[in-house]
Amino acid sequence: MAVPFLEVEALTKSFGGLRAVDNVHFRMEQKEIVGLIGPNGAGKTTLLRLLTGILKPDSGSVRFKGKQIIGMKTWDIVNLGVACTFQNMRPFRRLPIIANVMVSCLSPRAMKRGEWVKVVEAKAMDALEFAGISDMALEKASTLSQGDLKRLEVARAVATEPDLLLLDEPFGGLSPAETDLMAKSIRRLHKGGRFGRLHSEGPAMIIVEHKLQQLMKIVDRIIVLNFGTLLAEGTPEEVVNNPRVIEAYLGQGGGQ
Amino acid sequence: MNIIITGLITGSMLALLAIGFSLIFGVARIVNIAHTAFYMVAGYCIYVLSVKLGLHPVLGMLIAVVVVTVFGLLAYKFLIDPIREHEAAVLIATIALAMIFQEAMLLIFTGDYLTVSALIEGYFILFGVKIFYQQVLTFGVVLVLLAVLWFLLMKTKLGLAIRSTAEDREVANLMGMNDSQLAMITMGISVALAGFTGAVIAPLTVLSPYMWMEPLILMMAVVVLGGLGSIKGSFVAAYILGFTEALVVFLIPKGAFLKGSVALSIMILVLLLRPEGLFGIVFEEER
Repeated sequence: MAVPFLEVEALTKSFGGLRAVDNVHFRMEQKEIVGLIGPNGAGKTTLLRLLTGILKPDSGSVRFKGKQIIGMKTWDIVNLGVACTFQNMRPFRRLPIIANVMVSCLSPRAMKRGEWVKVVEAKAMDALEFAGISDMALEKASTLSQGDLKRLEVARAVATEPDLLLLDEPFGGLSPAETDLMAKSIRRLHKGGRFGRLHSEGPAMIIVEHKLQQLMKIVDRIIVLNFGTLLAEGTPEEVVNNPRVIEAYLGQGGGQ
Repeated sequence: MNIIITGLITGSMLALLAIGFSLIFGVARIVNIAHTAFYMVAGYCIYVLSVKLGLHPVLGMLIAVVVVTVFGLLAYKFLIDPIREHEAAVLIATIALAMIFQEAMLLIFTGDYLTVSALIEGYFILFGVKIFYQQVLTFGVVLVLLAVLWFLLMKTKLGLAIRSTAEDREVANLMGMNDSQLAMITMGISVALAGFTGAVIAPLTVLSPYMWMEPLILMMAVVVLGGLGSIKGSFVAAYILGFTEALVVFLIPKGAFLKGSVALSIMILVLLLRPEGLFGIVFEEER
């Protein structure tokens, strides 16, 4: 049997007495887009942070392309081909936008040894072009609007040329028009190809999102978390019609 | 006129020290109390190399900087890196390191004051004030160093990596920046700066095993005034303090002992009125 692309087994993480992620199992194939949904506090962001090594789990294993990544340093995981965006955007506010993306291009994964600053800058520009904010490249990141910051996050993640992209609420805080644009970008990225000097094989993606309608249009499969545990898994149609999911979202508490 | 010269020299020295201190704090959150101890070690290295061994002073300086940088990297690797997760422990370790250097120098060179001869003897007179060539040279070297540092930070890939990590370590890690490797490199740059400061200042001052204390306090005041982690702030604040100090000595000739307290007063005032300093950033809550 071929090595699974991403294999998460018995992943558990507690904060004090709270089990934020509790014995989660799932698998992903290459090129697959998985939606990760669940009520607030279900452990979605914690799960992403475990996958990128920012947090260390209490137990469990995560294999990426057959390699155990639990216990690896964040930058080593990124260099294996995992990229991540933040839900509450965190740009380097004191750096120009182009420099924000250039940092990504500096990772050993994206850069060949001895590449000149100018080449790095051109690559970063291509990433901004992809995200659609290249005209603001020289401004300070602190001047960007909410929507543009989201796009900057995407540009930064794309610039490392990832194989697995973790998007934490890419549509959060966006207007309907901006949401459409972002969805289009995500689909274009997933198709793969060349964006200027950047090359994309079309990364697999895990998307955390509350705007379910938009999400359903993009993803192949959905995983539902509730109180840190895996509640349901399946195609968008299966999940929407799953009574346990409906219960978790609408709340059947109190025996009504 | 004298004030300007003294102010410029002191300011430049403080700028180099404070920028090095700020750099390593920014990137690795290491408060390196031993920073000025490295500066002292550099002074002693030059003494050994040029006075005892009779090497050319310029060669002596370069070797001294290399030696100090190696010391710094070793100290980082074996003393600081293993306990980096615990910031308070790092702080204590660097205090210990400074003490070790001080005691080692006491043992080797005793507590006697030592001097290093100037690179260029002589002076010229401008507007009736004696200006030693050595002072001009020191100031020139400082300016060149600052320019090189600016280029390194603003125009190179390494500089970008350092600046981004200094701003948000977690995000920089997520973008593939190897934080422990960067901390090591930054430690090297930071200590080399301290070494260079020691090297250019040695001929203008006397060496003693306790010479690291006073600049440490001044440097802390500079960093607080300029804003923790801000390089521009350190630069501006260093000159402000350099001139203030020179002014105090000039206005109250008998009160030269006051200059340390002036620095401390400024530090306290800043902490009370504007804790983030002139150019400091307000630290966002850790998420």
